[in-house]
Amino acid sequence: MGNWFERQRNIIDFTLSSLVRRKGKNLALLLVYALLVFLLASVMFFTHALRREASFVLQGAPEIVVQRMSAGRHELIPARYLGMIKGIRGVSGVRGRLWGYYFDPFSGANYTLMVPEAFSHGSGDVIIGQGIARTRLVGPGDVLSFQRYDGTPAILTVREVLPSASELVSSDLIVLSENDFRRFFGMAPGLYTDIVLTVRNAKEVATVAGKVQKLLPDTRPILKSEILRTYDTIFDWRSGIIVVILSSAVLAFIIFAWDKASGLSAEERKEIGILKAIGWETSDVLLMKFWEGAAVSLTAFLAGVLLAYVHVFFTPVMLFEPVLKGWSTLYPSFKLVPFINPYQVATLFFLTVVPYTVATIVPSWRAATIDPDSVMRS
Amino acid sequence: MIELRDIRKVFNEGKPHALTAVDGVSLVLDARAVTVLQGPSGSGKTTLLSLVGCMARPTEGRILLGDREITSLPERFLTDVRRRTFGFIFQQFNLVKGISALENVMLPAYPLGEHHASLKKRARALLDLFGILPRESSKAEWLSGGEAQRTAICRALINDPQIIIADEPTAHLDTKLSREFMDIVGRFKAEQKTVIIASHDPLVYGSPVVDRVITMRDGKIEAAGR
Repeated sequence: MGNWFERQRNIIDFTLSSLVRRKGKNLALLLVYALLVFLLASVMFFTHALRREASFVLQGAPEIVVQRMSAGRHELIPARYLGMIKGIRGVSGVRGRLWGYYFDPFSGANYTLMVPEAFSHGSGDVIIGQGIARTRLVGPGDVLSFQRYDGTPAILTVREVLPSASELVSSDLIVLSENDFRRFFGMAPGLYTDIVLTVRNAKEVATVAGKVQKLLPDTRPILKSEILRTYDTIFDWRSGIIVVILSSAVLAFIIFAWDKASGLSAEERKEIGILKAIGWETSDVLLMKFWEGAAVSLTAFLAGVLLAYVHVFFTPVMLFEPVLKGWSTLYPSFKLVPFINPYQVATLFFLTVVPYTVATIVPSWRAATIDPDSVMRS
Repeated sequence: MIELRDIRKVFNEGKPHALTAVDGVSLVLDARAVTVLQGPSGSGKTTLLSLVGCMARPTEGRILLGDREITSLPERFLTDVRRRTFGFIFQQFNLVKGISALENVMLPAYPLGEHHASLKKRARALLDLFGILPRESSKAEWLSGGEAQRTAICRALINDPQIIIADEPTAHLDTKLSREFMDIVGRFKAEQKTVIIASHDPLVYGSPVVDRVITMRDGKIEAAGR
């Protein structure tokens, strides 16, 4: 065992000094390699963290949202539906929601206006998201002016700015009273945007949704699990776009790495010949090449992953933010909670470190099987 | 004792450019003696040397190292015999560039799994013995011809081989360094080592330390020197 350990140690020692000898080549390779791992790991970490963030936010969301449909489009839902849904067995709570979108020509962005279950401020007051506070340069006590559906101005006083922790979904949010909302959009009493319901037993959610549809055929029940799935799909789709863009970089790297790793120079071939001539076995040469590939790829992998971690969780993720995040033109600027999924890291490891290490060994194996006397005859 | 029985070595056998480098050589090389294979270029000296040193296998014939027949050994065992029994000094020295003289000397012992510190100590002792310890950290390409050769000699001795094989060792040395090399060969002999040299340098085969000169031509033994 001690012998085995010393053998590895001696060969690693020589491998490292070999790497230092060809520093130009190896450093260039290391840089490109680390950059690639960095890009891939950034996309991976970022998408995953966003997805987690979204699912955290949705944790408190209602199990079922019921929307009324008319000609295949979302229509306002009458208040009498509330009573009808409440009568369904298994439904523990039902509430009409008011929300809508407002295009602000000043910032060129769409805001989401919403009436909460209990609004702690009075008429004419609003709570706004961080994105709106940033673009409109307002804070608590300031006044925001919008235009109602009929062209009359709506002057609203900012009372609070929502905490940045929820900014992923609240960046463009304006929370206001029911009265203000109905006046803003000209929505008659007795109508809601949609209805949310809570179900006593989580296992019955699908059954309740079926009953709602049967009772009110002009409605569409949307389950929380469906929303979560949609979020996942969106983030998967967005990260897919980035990966497609990066695929050309990946391909370029593969060509580069294959050339660098597999193309043994005449000097390297001669060196392998010398090693064999002075008593190294083919397996010793392969072990050396294995450590060489492992040292380069592991260093690049660790550097890339570490940089990506810092990039995603401790900097504003400059590279991918516009693609991966944000629903409207107001990009949320919030801090993601650092989280690493070991399965993803393992996938990245097997996609980068393993192929490179193999690519280093194969050509060396060919060179290492030459007769050692070739050195004497050269 | 090394015994060669009817050795034949053909390169590119069966092809139009096949070359018979060694042709039916039978020979007994004494242990603890200095033997020189002498002859013009292309006479088969280096090929015979590489066959004796387990670097290549003969096309025909058998080689016995003591009582052990080595020609039929699998590569792994042959390598083991080679690194434990033989020390090689090459014509071009064949030092690995970019690493120090000390590392070059230690290189053959790396796969044997000796403790790094004790290996380093032995390597330094050898460099000291040959007067080049002050140059231990110099890279191979910075060494002078004589220093490079002495480093190559230290490397050949690191696994304490019983047999030392040298291929045209004085080809790149001036007269003074060539004489110094033969003095070193005398030291090997005094230490009861077997030395086999391929050379066509009169300074080598004419040296008083040499016990036997075998003359080769066209892959055959012309004079066995006994």
